[in-house]
Amino acid sequence: MRTYLKLAWRNLFRNKRRTFIAGTAIGIGLASLIFVDALVIGMEKNMIHSATSSYLGEGQIHRAGYREANEVELVINNLDDVLSRLNNEEIVAHFTRRAMSFAMITAPANVSSVSLIGIHPPTEQHLSQIDEALVEGSYFRGDNQRDILIGSRLAEILEVAIGDRVVLTVAQAHTGDLSQEMFRVSGIFHFNVNEMDRGMAIIRLEIAQSMLGLDNDVHQIALTFTDEKYGQDKNLPFWREYSTAGNEALSWTELLPQLQAAFELSQFSTLIVGIILFGVVTLGIINTLFMSLHERMFEFGVLRAVGTRPSAMAALILFEAAALAVVSIILGTILGLVITSIFAHVGIDYTGIEYVGITFRELLYPVLQVDQFIIFPFWVFVFTVIVGLYPAVYAARMKPADAMRKSL
Amino acid sequence: MDTQAQGEVIVTREVKKVYSGNGVPVHAVRGIDVVIKTGEFTAIVGPSGSGKTTFLNIISGLDTATEGEVWLNGRRLSAMSGKELSDFRRDSVGFIFQAYNLIPVLSVEENVEYIMLLQGVPRAERHHRVQQILSDLGLEGFADRLPTKLSGGQQQRVAVARAIVSQPALILADEATANLDSKTGAELLDMMRELNEKRGMTFVFSTHDTMIMERARRLITLKDGLIESDVTKE
Repeated sequence: MRTYLKLAWRNLFRNKRRTFIAGTAIGIGLASLIFVDALVIGMEKNMIHSATSSYLGEGQIHRAGYREANEVELVINNLDDVLSRLNNEEIVAHFTRRAMSFAMITAPANVSSVSLIGIHPPTEQHLSQIDEALVEGSYFRGDNQRDILIGSRLAEILEVAIGDRVVLTVAQAHTGDLSQEMFRVSGIFHFNVNEMDRGMAIIRLEIAQSMLGLDNDVHQIALTFTDEKYGQDKNLPFWREYSTAGNEALSWTELLPQLQAAFELSQFSTLIVGIILFGVVTLGIINTLFMSLHERMFEFGVLRAVGTRPSAMAALILFEAAALAVVSIILGTILGLVITSIFAHVGIDYTGIEYVGITFRELLYPVLQVDQFIIFPFWVFVFTVIVGLYPAVYAARMKPADAMRKSL
Repeated sequence: MDTQAQGEVIVTREVKKVYSGNGVPVHAVRGIDVVIKTGEFTAIVGPSGSGKTTFLNIISGLDTATEGEVWLNGRRLSAMSGKELSDFRRDSVGFIFQAYNLIPVLSVEENVEYIMLLQGVPRAERHHRVQQILSDLGLEGFADRLPTKLSGGQQQRVAVARAIVSQPALILADEATANLDSKTGAELLDMMRELNEKRGMTFVFSTHDTMIMERARRLITLKDGLIESDVTKE
């Protein structure tokens, strides 16, 4: 066996240029797989971060049915108990309360319908990037109940600027009576997400509760965990424990099912890319091994003539395929590591591009993981050896006299 | 059929070979009966297309006869499986080819010991036998060289060493001197003749070379796939 391993390894380097070209082609395939996988992981992380950190949070608690009906009366049950338990949750990093309603916003020049959000500014800062998204004015300061933050697009529609007055009109819970309050625009935000920039107005929680006739009640608690993996775990006991007393606790994966679907699509795309690359690699390996085999046909005939068994001939070709795989894996992992590391360092600029409702707000950094350098090379090795079976069987079945005749 | 007991290395009976390339049958060998005994130094001669190489391939088990039977060292080749034939060739036949056909990635020593590796000969014995044969054939100091670093004559000597190192019953040489200049070819032939005389090794040549014809003790002439003459010199 050692003789065939030695023969295979030396044979591989008889035509160094061809081995280098074939190894590089397979290596590029492997490097591409590593890069695409790292890119997809980076994109997922980026999208999750963009989706959860800008406003959504990693999980939310509502009254059951609120998300479908959006009725003002559907406030969280047993709020004090829920808040008290959240305060003692070890895995919860931050949480904030929100009151929400449809509203009409009126300015001297124009009028528009908006989603009105009442927030608790100090805790909201840990959950969302509203303060970071401000392009004009400032975040809530002091306790001025008349401050309002609106989106950049809404400001254009209403033709208002910082300091201008606007009037909000809402329907109160239970009675349906209209309630109106005047506010001064204190900040204009730009999330680069049309729905938010065009249709969101943010005021303090207390005045929102007052306008909506909610007392201390809220519609939503948004939260983040100490580790983002909890937010992706649909089976976390947390969701079950807080989906009681008529409330429902949901992870972002359920709040944004389209994002999860997009990730599945990305993984499927990676699989397709993998299949195409492996297809190309297959042809490369078969071509290389057959070229090498035909080039040495007489030699194989001689090996068979002097008593090499058919199984040993097959083993020799398989060892050559394995040796080619080793060379390719070395080239591919080095190439994959270098290219992915460069992009993981400098990032890829997708900012401003919207995908399944999520706008990339930060540079996309491919994420290198150890398993990319174990699993993909392992499969390249296995695949190369499997592909090598075809020329191996061909070599094993060759009659020595035919082999020597064919080479003449 | 106990041919071995009678000192017969090769016995063929009505051996025929038909190739059916492109649907047109080509009768390469049309029915050859021959007996080659231990220790013979025989040349099979004849014009191109007379069936020399095909006959050599058949008697060595490299190819199969369309009809007829071949006994090599007392064993009927057609009764053997592919694996048995491989093992039989390994143990019973040594080959010397026109183009030397050494394995270029193996050193001289590795080329010569290859068959013994297949036979499972222990390392120390392999080494001893290789050194001995290289010395006998004037190849001392070349053990670690690759074949590409040797002259044509030296490469063919290595091929002879590879063929005889495992002491097979029969050594087949197909146009073994065709790529060598006349001086080197003559030296090689004298060396093989010496091995034949001193060690009793059986040599069968397929050739056009008059030098071989002169040195051979038996000349079998083929024409159109049949034996035209079979002459044993005094």
